[in-house]
Amino acid sequence: MQKIEAILGNRMDPALAERLHHVEHHGGIDLVTIDPVDIARHRLRVTSGRGRDLAIALPRDQQLFDGAVLFLDGHSAIVLRVAGQHWLRLVPERPEDALELGYHAGNLHWKVRFEGGALLVALEAPAADYIARMASQLGGRTFGASVLESLPKCP
Amino acid sequence: MNSALEARRSTAARIGIGGPVGSGKTALIEALIPVLHARGVDLAVITNDLVTAEDAERLRRSGLIDPERVSAVEAGACPHTVIREDPSLNIMAGDVLEERFPGVELLIFESGGDNLASTFSLDLVDWWIFVIDVAGGDDIPRKKGPGVLRADLLVVNKTDLAPHVGVDLPRMLAEARQVRGGRPVIATNARRGAGVAAVADAIVAAVLFDHAPAA
Repeated sequence: MQKIEAILGNRMDPALAERLHHVEHHGGIDLVTIDPVDIARHRLRVTSGRGRDLAIALPRDQQLFDGAVLFLDGHSAIVLRVAGQHWLRLVPERPEDALELGYHAGNLHWKVRFEGGALLVALEAPAADYIARMASQLGGRTFGASVLESLPKCP
Repeated sequence: MNSALEARRSTAARIGIGGPVGSGKTALIEALIPVLHARGVDLAVITNDLVTAEDAERLRRSGLIDPERVSAVEAGACPHTVIREDPSLNIMAGDVLEERFPGVELLIFESGGDNLASTFSLDLVDWWIFVIDVAGGDDIPRKKGPGVLRADLLVVNKTDLAPHVGVDLPRMLAEARQVRGGRPVIATNARRGAGVAAVADAIVAAVLFDHAPAA
């Protein structure tokens, strides 16, 4: 187990980027990937891409982020990657269904965004669970549902 | 960073224990305290109640923990609001305890009794437990409440009552594991201590790295 008790900085920081570039040339970059839902945690146990058992224990004034450098010496580095957030795109068939979709999503404390006539729900569990939950709330009325692997770019 | 500021940095692990009214959250904490103390864990507790400090007073009177190490937050209204939407009061209570007891390693936040939709903000805690009990009905896992689904650990308490309330415990546990996609579920009888060591093991493995057994 390797304890990580501080974030050294952002991989894009000029001073770190130069050192990381050197380490990368020697094949020393080890990526550790976490789900978006875990980014708020200050303590977690994760396994890096190269199989390192990491015990992350940050002070509460530090926050994980995509590109955080967790370890760096002359030969190797550990860099955090945050997996892409998947979204469930719900499309109501009628305006009255849209009102109910919005109401129930709020009542269920789902994290949402809006995209045109669709409601985008940040997935923290399998999409089927969300669809089943909303279907039961809407009493059998139908709605369109699909999973997006990333948010559409703003125009 | 100067040493005085470094000394004030908040570093204790923070975990949440939530669940419906009467499921045994306080009883589980009462059972965990001596087990964690025996493992050398320095801890403190923050309780949440609607308009009283009932759970905090119960723990303070228990003789299990220095009463000064128990802090109470009065949620006022919906208990989940102060552990999820705006956990500021609880964060502050944790900070105060960390400042008062500089060696503290673990802060346990007990939520007020709530419904199956109750979840903790990860801004407040690093890891959290949801407690249900067999007397609440063996259909609870099938209802797929967010607390049951998303908790890092689901505890099914009061297993001793199963035969008295017509609950098929093995089936309830199997359904709980199924709806949670294989994430951990532990059966406990907190009053008798059954399963409590396994809960302590889970806490240590998840957040108390200095107490984890060597691999």
